[in-house]
Amino acid sequence: MNGSWLPVVGRRLISLVWVVVGVSLITFIISHLVPGDPARLVAGDRATPEIVAHIRSQLGLDLPLPQQYLHYMGQLLHGDLGTSIRTHRPVLQDIAAFFPATLELALVALILATVLGIPLGVLSAVYRNRLTDHLARTLAVAGISTPAFWLGLGLIVIFYGNLGWLPGGGRIDQGMAPPPGVTGLYLIDAALAGDWPVWRSALQHMLLPAITLGFVHLGVVARQVRSSMLEQLNEDYVRTARAYGLSPWVVVLRHALPNALIPSVTVLGLALGDLLYGAVLTETVFGWPGMGAYVVDSIQALDFPAVMGFAVVVSFAYVVLNLLVDLLYRRLDPRIRGIG
Amino acid sequence: MSYFWYQLRRSPLMLLGLLILLAVGLAVGLAGWVAPYDPEQINLVQRLAAPSAQHWFGTDEVGRDIFSRVLYGGQQSIGVGLFVAGCASVVGAIVGCFSGILGGRIDGLIMRTMDVVLSVPSLVLIMALAAALGPSLFNAMLAITLVRIPFYVRLARGQTLSIREMAYVQAAWTFGAGRRHVVRWHVVRNAASPIVVQATLDVGGAILMAAALGFIGLGAQQPTAEWGAMVATGRNFLLDQWWYTVTPGCAILVTALACNLVGDGVRDLLDPKSRVK
Amino acid sequence: MQFMIQTGARRAVMAAVMGLGALALAGGAAAATPADTLVIGKPADPQTLDPAITIDNNDWTVTYPAYQRLMRYKQVDGKGSTEVEGDLAASWTTSPDNLVWTFTLNAGQQFADGTAVDAQAVKQSFERLLAKKQGPSEAFPADMKIDAVDAKTVRFTLKKPFAPFLYTLANNGASIVNPKAMQRPDADAWLSGHTAGSGPYQLVSWQKGQALTLERNPHYAGSKKPVLDKFVVKIVPESSARRLQLQKGDLDVAEELPVDQLQALKKDKAVHVAEFPSLRVTYLYLNNAKGPLRSADLRHAVVDSLDYKGIVDGIMMGQAKQMRGPIPEGMWGYDADLPQPKQDVAAAKALVSKAGGVKSPLLLRYSTQDPAWEPIALTVQANLTAAGIPVKLEKLANATLRENLGQGNFDISIGNWSPDFADPYMFTSYWFDSDKKGLAGNRSFYSNPQVDGWLREAATLSDQSKRIALYKQVQEQVVKDAAYAYLYQKNYQAGLGANVQGFVFNPMLERVFNVADMKK
Repeated sequence: MNGSWLPVVGRRLISLVWVVVGVSLITFIISHLVPGDPARLVAGDRATPEIVAHIRSQLGLDLPLPQQYLHYMGQLLHGDLGTSIRTHRPVLQDIAAFFPATLELALVALILATVLGIPLGVLSAVYRNRLTDHLARTLAVAGISTPAFWLGLGLIVIFYGNLGWLPGGGRIDQGMAPPPGVTGLYLIDAALAGDWPVWRSALQHMLLPAITLGFVHLGVVARQVRSSMLEQLNEDYVRTARAYGLSPWVVVLRHALPNALIPSVTVLGLALGDLLYGAVLTETVFGWPGMGAYVVDSIQALDFPAVMGFAVVVSFAYVVLNLLVDLLYRRLDPRIRGIG
Repeated sequence: MSYFWYQLRRSPLMLLGLLILLAVGLAVGLAGWVAPYDPEQINLVQRLAAPSAQHWFGTDEVGRDIFSRVLYGGQQSIGVGLFVAGCASVVGAIVGCFSGILGGRIDGLIMRTMDVVLSVPSLVLIMALAAALGPSLFNAMLAITLVRIPFYVRLARGQTLSIREMAYVQAAWTFGAGRRHVVRWHVVRNAASPIVVQATLDVGGAILMAAALGFIGLGAQQPTAEWGAMVATGRNFLLDQWWYTVTPGCAILVTALACNLVGDGVRDLLDPKSRVK
Repeated sequence: MQFMIQTGARRAVMAAVMGLGALALAGGAAAATPADTLVIGKPADPQTLDPAITIDNNDWTVTYPAYQRLMRYKQVDGKGSTEVEGDLAASWTTSPDNLVWTFTLNAGQQFADGTAVDAQAVKQSFERLLAKKQGPSEAFPADMKIDAVDAKTVRFTLKKPFAPFLYTLANNGASIVNPKAMQRPDADAWLSGHTAGSGPYQLVSWQKGQALTLERNPHYAGSKKPVLDKFVVKIVPESSARRLQLQKGDLDVAEELPVDQLQALKKDKAVHVAEFPSLRVTYLYLNNAKGPLRSADLRHAVVDSLDYKGIVDGIMMGQAKQMRGPIPEGMWGYDADLPQPKQDVAAAKALVSKAGGVKSPLLLRYSTQDPAWEPIALTVQANLTAAGIPVKLEKLANATLRENLGQGNFDISIGNWSPDFADPYMFTSYWFDSDKKGLAGNRSFYSNPQVDGWLREAATLSDQSKRIALYKQVQEQVVKDAAYAYLYQKNYQAGLGANVQGFVFNPMLERVFNVADMKK
């Protein structure tokens, strides 16, 4: 691979700085627009004005706004995201505690969506405009059109309430200790520790929320694969391969599909970003202790540092992720790789 | 026109989508005539009644008829979808086209800003905006629209950039055509199709987003009916009065589904690449 | 059919997925709760466990059993009482002018790490509480002095007599904290996530957003040792899921279930619904200072137009009792002679025209902090509109609502209130004293100097019969002035597994479970 990827990375890193500044500024402005006084919320209704004022100055909320912002940015440069008004713990610590849960959920949902979405897209493209295609497309579109929170509730009622097959919430069985935290992703940590009962429990708890979240992206993946496949199937090399007598499925799977998947890689990057914050509503329904629930609570409690911290961390992750996906795309696509 | 009918017959899914939209649109648009009850009429004696001949979808926790509320709620939810898709696409397209045409520093600045807005987790941005502006359906619409605009700006700009280089546009320049003329006649018409496709798909997406906001409580305010808010209130009664959550949820699903089917169909119609050679 | 054509790779993937699925489903859902552990299901994680900071009953579920206080609430005939008895304190005396209170501590009390509970610990706990100046300190006089006379004796010196003082010592804020914890350099952060008390249980682990586990405190010196070894607080945000888990035996106690779900649970044999009258009241704030409701006639019209029966029977499903005046039944000072408000639309209409009609709709602002508020708001709107008073509803986020309440930007709003200590002061001085206008308690911005005088006098007296007489006068006056519209006092309900016994509800301690006394 030629070294032409350095300027790409360089440019992205610069834009990363822009993004972090922009994101923090936007969330700062918005969160201070929201009417409400977090000091009052912490103090409770019955606190006297003196107590509220005391809390407000403790939290640094009585300083002029620009000063508060500059102070925040200064801390940010040291990697300090401030202290949550609600929990009195460093925001970074809170996010680190909740992030792995959301990441694990998003990854499993993405895997499910991909594993099911790719075959669906392929079938749709190959049997274009026939019954299979129509059914597959309807399924895909249904996925995109379903409100995740509604689906989640329904799944809990059916699979936990009525059938009792799967647990109704949480990450592992109550009473079980979570595996020693290496990555924070229970499935990986439990496998590393060889703790199979915990692994099984984590998997059981993971299924329903991942299916809920994944069902939506099933549609996105299937659509993308279908459209890329259609493009590929129209290409000359496909006709040539068939003319040589290669069986249709070999052509589809061994030749067209890998080429079709390359543009789909970029969609995966976007999907992961979507999933990360799409988890917000799904997590509340399943009691999944992730960032989604955290950020909703923080917005309601006017916990500015927490909301800003969340926005900065997720945007950061999003840009880095897209960078990695772009690099991967360049690696995979021989046209770009070769030319440089 | 006859080409349109031909395409329609070849694409049963789009036909299905259009039929559903027609049915939903009529029912919702004519809610004033179709709905059996006043959607805001309280009746504490009849609360949480099961579906029956009198109340097709049952009643809610203060005795209002759910069927009527679903119909009227559709006006809110679908209205949001149309507004968001329409405004965001038009505004975004205009900004994007001009950005592409003007180029240079203005273009750079605009794209930088769009990148930043796109990087903020949109749900958080929308929630925060809606919370800051005050919970109401209008503010929710505004928030969703603002967040969707960058997509269109990017799309339109990309199209503009590629069209700008094309031969016929260069030709128009050399003939002395003014910038605005070029934009209007050449760029916009050719850039329009992917934008139209995206806008059609966005109607469904906006409905879902408005429902999500309603679910959190940042959307339409009581006593106005709105599908997302109804699903949210209904989840407290999910186990015993499941119809309360299921009916508006189905309405969201069916409408978004139809919008997406139609959007896919429009894309197939307009996109030359998907036509079989 | 073309579906049947599958390559080997695809078949392998299908097999793997099915195998994984089978593996996951084998063994079914989680087992029921262990016999020596009580599992309580809550909708939200506690925010902070620091007794000097937390004002949220949700946090108290964990802190109350982990800490002890000088006083505790009595249990009379198996029912929670609002009277207090000594917990850490063996005895106490008051000086004749009620300014100096001296407490003698019980012997042999220890914190969870073995440190003795002595007067120094009490002094430091209170000094920290007052220095932190957060919500819980508000119940105590800010200029109170605490002295540790000797290892077993503590003396509190007040500047002004404060009648409810003894009762405030049973508050969560009055928890006695281990000095070793308070002396840590990271005391604030540590205490927010750990317990350092002498109560029957201590926190051993907290998985954020999932569960908190508390185990028996080996050094607990109380006469009655707890039966259950552990209790776990499990976070289940979705109420339907909480109910399902209770029914399936994955939870022993399910908190904060909506009234309708509790009614449905009554039919389930595996569960019993515990119901107790409580002192938590719901009422309407009427803005006496700004807007059309400055007119007393209009306020009376509001009070007369409400469908109290519909609200109590329909919305609360009979699990509430209509109030007559500010002081609820069960609190001493309750006046049973006050007339019961009734819906009288004709009288309301007459009063509206007497007041000159209503030009623009009244603004009713509320939040969904309490699920009952929205149906109440809708009902109030319907009732008032029928009486000729148009009402516009505005649902706000809780934080925003509080901001608006504090500044008086509303015409009508809905509120809940529960007492911090068992004294009618909680329902009168807070609601009617013009010093406490705004969020502090007087949310109707009511101002009546005569009432102020009565209230302040009653706060300093120690003779209960004199105080009752004063509070009777206060109540009659404020009902005449229609300062608020009183709706109901709610029953406290919780879902318990059929085998859970020993739960005694104390109206002063909502959401606190006497785990030490409970067994399965």
